[in-house]
Amino acid sequence: MNIAKKAAGGALRFRAYATAAYVPPASMENVQRGRLPPPKPKPESPTFYTGRATYYDQLLALENASKQTRSALQQLQLLPLSRFAQQNLPPLHPVWKSQVDLAELMEAKLTTSRYRRFVSQLNQLNQYRRLAEVAGHLALAERLQRVLDMFERENKEAILARGKAKPTKFDEFGRTYTVGRRKESTARVWVIRTQLSPEEQAAASSSTTPAEPPQVQTSESPAPPPAQTVEDPIVHSAPAVGIPGFESGPLSIGPTQVKVHTTNILINNIPFTDYFPNVADRERIVRPFRVAGLIGAFNVFALVRGGGSTGQSGALTLGIAKGIAAHAPEVEPLLRKGFTSLKL
Amino acid sequence: MSLVAALRTGRAVHTTSATLASSAGVIVHSRGYAAAVKPAKKVSSKFKANSGREDKEKQGPRDAGAYHPMPVNSLSDPVFQTENITSLQLPTFRPEAITPSAVAKPMAFPQGESKALKAYGLPRNILVDHLLLTKPCSVIRESTVDLLDQLDKASGSSSKDTRVVLTGKTGCGKSYLLLQAVQYSIQKEWISLYIPRAINLVNSSSSYAYDARTQTYGQPAFAQQLLKRFVDVNEAHVRSLATQAAYTFDDGREFSSGAQVMDLINLGLENQNQAPTVLTALLDELAKQTTYPVLLAIDDFQALYCMSQYRDPFFKSIKAYHLTFPRTLLEFASGKKSFARGAVLGALSTQNTTFRVPLELVESLGLVPSVPTNPYVRREAELLEYAKGLKNFPVPERLSIDEAASLFDLWHQTKALHIPRGDEIFLAKYTESGGNAREFVKKGILQTVTV
Repeated sequence: MNIAKKAAGGALRFRAYATAAYVPPASMENVQRGRLPPPKPKPESPTFYTGRATYYDQLLALENASKQTRSALQQLQLLPLSRFAQQNLPPLHPVWKSQVDLAELMEAKLTTSRYRRFVSQLNQLNQYRRLAEVAGHLALAERLQRVLDMFERENKEAILARGKAKPTKFDEFGRTYTVGRRKESTARVWVIRTQLSPEEQAAASSSTTPAEPPQVQTSESPAPPPAQTVEDPIVHSAPAVGIPGFESGPLSIGPTQVKVHTTNILINNIPFTDYFPNVADRERIVRPFRVAGLIGAFNVFALVRGGGSTGQSGALTLGIAKGIAAHAPEVEPLLRKGFTSLKL
Repeated sequence: MSLVAALRTGRAVHTTSATLASSAGVIVHSRGYAAAVKPAKKVSSKFKANSGREDKEKQGPRDAGAYHPMPVNSLSDPVFQTENITSLQLPTFRPEAITPSAVAKPMAFPQGESKALKAYGLPRNILVDHLLLTKPCSVIRESTVDLLDQLDKASGSSSKDTRVVLTGKTGCGKSYLLLQAVQYSIQKEWISLYIPRAINLVNSSSSYAYDARTQTYGQPAFAQQLLKRFVDVNEAHVRSLATQAAYTFDDGREFSSGAQVMDLINLGLENQNQAPTVLTALLDELAKQTTYPVLLAIDDFQALYCMSQYRDPFFKSIKAYHLTFPRTLLEFASGKKSFARGAVLGALSTQNTTFRVPLELVESLGLVPSVPTNPYVRREAELLEYAKGLKNFPVPERLSIDEAASLFDLWHQTKALHIPRGDEIFLAKYTESGGNAREFVKKGILQTVTV
C-alpha cells in the first residue's frame, strides 16, 4: 500500500501542472491562506495535561519530599527501624484537611481515591517527620512540619482537645466555676479561698520569731482573781505557749493564738444547714473537703436546681470536688480515688 | 442355657430336652423359653442398725462458738472495769468564775446543798443532755458573760427596766443561757422563780377552775406545785420576809400586813384551792420588797402569748391571759407590775409548733416574721399591750470554734461516743452543723454514721 502511495505521489508531482485545474493568479489574491495557530503557551508543568494539575503537582512534590527524606533518614541510619524502636515511638495525631477542604485547595473536584492517596502520602511524610524529631534532627523535622502544616486543619488543637476535660478557669477574684450533675439535679458551684488576715499571711510566708505571744500572756494573767487558782486548776491551766524548743514556725505559737478558719457554704443563698436538714446530705457535701484535708480552706456559693435532696447534694458534691481540684491540683488524685467506692 | 442368655450371646439355642436327653438319656418335654428359675444369690446386707451402737457420744445443742459467754477473767477491757468509772471532772459554775477569760470553758452546775435545778425541773432537751452527760453542766459562752453582766446591772433597779427575751435560731442555746442565768441568780442570793416549761401552763395538762373574784381561770395543782418548788429553792430568803399588804382568802383566812410570807405560802401548800390566789399574792409581795432582787425566768415564753388549749363551758378556747398565773406572768413581763429590784427573763422556744411565736411578739422584739405580713393582719390589742417594752437579746446562731471545741471535748469525756476524738472530725462536724449547738451535738456527735 505504501509503495502504491509513493508511486502515486510521484506521479502526481509529475503531472500536477497537467491534471490540476487552471486557476488564474488574479483570483488567488483574495484567498486567505491558513494562518499558523497562535503559539500555545507551554504549560508550567507537565501535569497540565492531567486536567488536575494542582493535585498532581502537590502529590508529586510530596512524593519527592518523601523520597528525599527517606534517603536522608537512611543515610542517618534511622531507617529501617528496629521493631522495638518502631513500637516505642510517640503516637501521631494528625488532623488532615477534609476532602472538601483539599478540593478547595486543589481548585478541582477530588475523588475519594485521589484523596486517600494524598492522605497516605501525608501520613508517610508525617511518620518521617516524627522519626526525625525523635532522633533529634529538629531542623529536618521543622522543614517537614512546615510542609505538612499546609495540609492540616486550622482548628487542629480544638479537635484534638475534644473529649478532654477543659482546665477550670479562675475569675478576677480567684473563684472557680464548676458544674456538677447527679440524677435530675444540676449544681453550679463557685469556690473561693478563705481570706487570711495580714498577720496570718505574714506568718505563713515568713518564718521569723513572732513577738506577740509574750505580750498576750501578760494581758491574760491578771484577769483571774487569786482565790480561784487554788481551787480550780482546770480553768486556769498554764496559758497557751509554744513548745519551748521552737523559735519559729507553727509550733512556736500557742494553740489558742492560731485562728481556725471555717468553711461556709451557701446554697441558693441559704446556709447549707438550713437547706439540707438531713445528716446524710450534709455529710455527703462536706466529704470532698475531708478527703482533701482542706476543711476551712475554701468557701462555697452554689446554685442548685432540679431533683430532690439526694440528687442535689450529690450534684453539689461533684461540683465542690471539681472546684477543690482546680484550686489544689495535688489533691485531685485523692478526690478521684475517694469517690470510686462511695455511691453518691 | 436359657433362651434369653442365648439371645444375648448369640449362640445357638440348645433345647433343654436335647441337652438333658443327650446327657441322661431322659426325654423331657419342655419348651425352649421356659427355663428353670435360678435361686437368688444370698448377699450379705450392708445395713447397720443403730441399736448396735450405744457408745456413740451424744452431742449437745448445736455449738456456735460465738455465743459462748466469756469467762470473767478474760474481761480485761477498761469498759468492764466498773469500779474504775470516773465521773466528769469539771470546774464548778460560780459567779466569780464567769469572766471573759472563762469563755468557752465547760462548767458543772453545783449539786448538793442547792437543790435549785432539781427543784424547778428542766426543759426536756436539757434534761436529756444532762442524763447522757451524767452531770448537769454547760459551756460558758460570750453571750453568757453579756447576759450575766446585764443581770448584775439590773439587781439594783426595777424589773420594768430589764425585761429581756432571748431570741435566736432554733438550737442556738437560748434555754441553756436562761438556765445559766437562773443558776447565777440563785448563787448571787437573788430570789428566783424559774418556769422551765411554760407550755405546761397552757396545754391543758393541769386542772383549772374559774375564780369569780379575778374573773380568770386558776390552775390549783400547778400553783401548789410551783409554791412547793419555790420554797425548796428560796426558803432561806423568804423566811426573812414579811408581807406589806393585807390578804383575805375565800376560806376565811386573813393575813394582815407584817405577817410572815412563809405562812402565806404554807396556806397555799396546804390548800390547793387557795394556791392560785396565794401565788398571785406572793408575787405581789416579792414585787414590793427591796431586800432581795427577784429573777422571774420563763422558758417557752411565747406560749404565754398564744391561745391555750383549755376550753370554757361553751367550748371556746381560753386565751392564755385569761388564766390567772399566765396573766400574772404577762403583767410582770409587760411592766404593768414590776419587782422593785430584779429582772424578767424569757426565752423563746421553737420546738413545739402548736405554740409558735405570735405576730405581736415578733414585731415587739423586732424579729423577722416567718410568713409575710401586712398592716391588715389582725393584731390583738391585749397582746400588743403585753408585748410592749420587751428587749430582744439575740443569741448568736453559731458557736465559736473554741466553744464548739469545748463542747466536743465535754462529750468525749463521757467516754461513751462512737466517733474518734480528733480535730479533723471536729471541724467536719462543725462545718456540717454550721456551728449550731443542737445540730452539732445531736446530729454531728450523736447521730452521725460516717466517721
